[in-house]
Amino acid sequence: MRETILNFGPQHLGMVGNFSITLSVDGDKVIKAIASPGYLHRGFEKLMENRTWAQNFPLVCRINVIEPDSMEMVYAMGVEKLGKIEVPERAQFIRSIYLELARVASHLFGAWAYANMLGFDTVAQWAMYHRDLILDLFEELTGARVYHIYINPGGVRRDFPKGFKEKIIKTLHTIGGCIPDYNDTFFDNRIFYKRAQNVGKLSRESALLYGAVGQVIRAVGIPYDIRKVEPYAAYDKVDFGIPVRDGGDALSRILIVRDEMIESVHMIFKLLDMMPEGEVWNRPPNPFKWNIPQGEAYVRVESARGELGLYMVSNGTDKPYRVHFRTPSFNHGLYILEKVLEGENIADVGNIMMSLYVVAPEIDR
Amino acid sequence: MNKKLIDEIITTFKNTKCQMIENKRLIINTKKDIIHPLLKYLKDKEFTRLALISCVDWINDNEFEIIYILTSYLLEHEKSEINVIVKTRIARDKPQIKSIIPIFENAEFYEREICEMFGVHFEGHPRLISLFLEIKYDIPPFRKDFILREFCENTFDKIPPVGDEK
Amino acid sequence: MDRNNIKHWLKNPAKMAHKYSLTVTYFCTGCGIIEIPPTITARWDAERFGVTPGASPRHANLFLITGYVSLKTLKAIIRSYEQMPDPKFVVAFGSCPINGGMYWDSYNTIKSLDKYIPVDGWIAGCMPRPETIFIGVTHLWTLIDKEMADGYKKYKKNYKFYRKNQEMLYGKLDWEPFYPIGGDNE
Repeated sequence: MRETILNFGPQHLGMVGNFSITLSVDGDKVIKAIASPGYLHRGFEKLMENRTWAQNFPLVCRINVIEPDSMEMVYAMGVEKLGKIEVPERAQFIRSIYLELARVASHLFGAWAYANMLGFDTVAQWAMYHRDLILDLFEELTGARVYHIYINPGGVRRDFPKGFKEKIIKTLHTIGGCIPDYNDTFFDNRIFYKRAQNVGKLSRESALLYGAVGQVIRAVGIPYDIRKVEPYAAYDKVDFGIPVRDGGDALSRILIVRDEMIESVHMIFKLLDMMPEGEVWNRPPNPFKWNIPQGEAYVRVESARGELGLYMVSNGTDKPYRVHFRTPSFNHGLYILEKVLEGENIADVGNIMMSLYVVAPEIDR
Repeated sequence: MNKKLIDEIITTFKNTKCQMIENKRLIINTKKDIIHPLLKYLKDKEFTRLALISCVDWINDNEFEIIYILTSYLLEHEKSEINVIVKTRIARDKPQIKSIIPIFENAEFYEREICEMFGVHFEGHPRLISLFLEIKYDIPPFRKDFILREFCENTFDKIPPVGDEK
Repeated sequence: MDRNNIKHWLKNPAKMAHKYSLTVTYFCTGCGIIEIPPTITARWDAERFGVTPGASPRHANLFLITGYVSLKTLKAIIRSYEQMPDPKFVVAFGSCPINGGMYWDSYNTIKSLDKYIPVDGWIAGCMPRPETIFIGVTHLWTLIDKEMADGYKKYKKNYKFYRKNQEMLYGKLDWEPFYPIGGDNE
């Protein structure tokens, strides 16, 4: 046996995002993997301590570039909990619809990255185009394609524009109509099965031991989802299923991503039908004199990758005393990735990393 | 169930204060040396998942507060909502606390992050090396006495632009 | 467009070839990378402008710095930049490489990229839209035509100063100087 050290990333085609893994390899087999993050570290939590509560809103969404919306949501929830701000009923529904649209967009980006990595270029092009259709909706609603800063404490920044509901329905029908094509070319494809089945396997026991969440825990047969166990926004008013598989490998995780996408689309249709009329924003007071009462809170939402938590401490001033994000990729991308990569092929490293849905900026923050 | 749990914790562990907020967050204030038995006890009581280890710098009290947040994998609505927040305070001058890797395996990287950002030493940690940062900072950057603007002025603004002349 | 103007082509064919086949180094340096997939796929189709992603920096001539640059990334950027063959162009995408942007007081991101490597063009905005990449690329064409995109020449000429700035940030660098220091690198 001859051990070789191989630096995988950050400038590497098989690497998703700015992240690097040091692999000890024997031929084609990975003996040991050491994750080395930090290429995207900006020190958000320190920056947020130096900005006022309102100034933090444009900052907080930039933590995760693929799905900034759940970041906005978790911060708004934390501020609402500490400041005891009420949210109107209609705003809760708009938040849910918006977060589900963001989840579909994020999963489509994931499908792009995964399909691209396995060489399914056609599927990658479709997924990126369909994601763009959702970004067009966001652009009409919020004015920006990527960073929206739409969810504010006390509601959302503005109501749906005229005819927006019909546009959402039309866009989702376009995307939903292509799901059979996705299935034929990608999700039911034998090449995809050969590449993903029994790769990056995580048993039920070890998933529980390592504290996995999101697709990783649902791929071992546990329907654990924050939207169900601790409902927020309007998720307690709508009926939805949680897709579960029990393979525990990359295949199960990616198929769950597809099933979640379909489930989200159905949920948006239901939420649109149930939406009440009314106000959408209880405006906070003058943001320059906005003090949040003393206290601490731990809030959590289900982002596209799993439980996203925020521990927040306020000492009664106009700035947060301490914020700490519990991001799902931190655990998945560092601890679980190192464990799962042992004994796999070099060619599957990017494959496994993407199937764990690791988003590098979320790890580094 | 919640009331019983709180009573049990208070009777089993001395010097412990419990507080339940909205039936969702159980905040436990305790001493440094009780952390290990308390976390083991909570792990047996279905709080099997470590969600987060955090740290707060209370510079006026000259103390660090280490925070462990635990949740369960239970799916029933009432039980699953509970998150246990275990808090303990340690001295700021020579911060040291026992690593909890023997109880929760995935604590490894959370502890590494806290060590790097606050300079808290975790005893018994197998690899307490740098995680995110590339250069050495005199004061760990997340401490309250690390002033961002001062650091930026001294580091980044001092570097001169490269001109054609000269 | 001087594609139809064969005289112009024949004057300097190599320059024209560089100009119309910009290969981008595949390096996700920051959050701006999120707008690169839409740019290179069907909807915006960067290949209309000859822009394609390249696997290795050794095969690329355009370095698109997408977003903020942390201290750890800057090292990788300098290494990748030095590996690229001449002529090479750097375009910084987003506000953060210009002056720090959102992270103007962050302890781990650099504020102006052109103190460490030469930058030929800047695209401002957070996040700039995909169209801005095309505007940036067409501006870069003009600069290449007028021989104003000479960042790589500047790097060679002023390497002493660039190296000094890099060393001011990191202390001692763990790689050899790319160009000889002290001599006249004209």
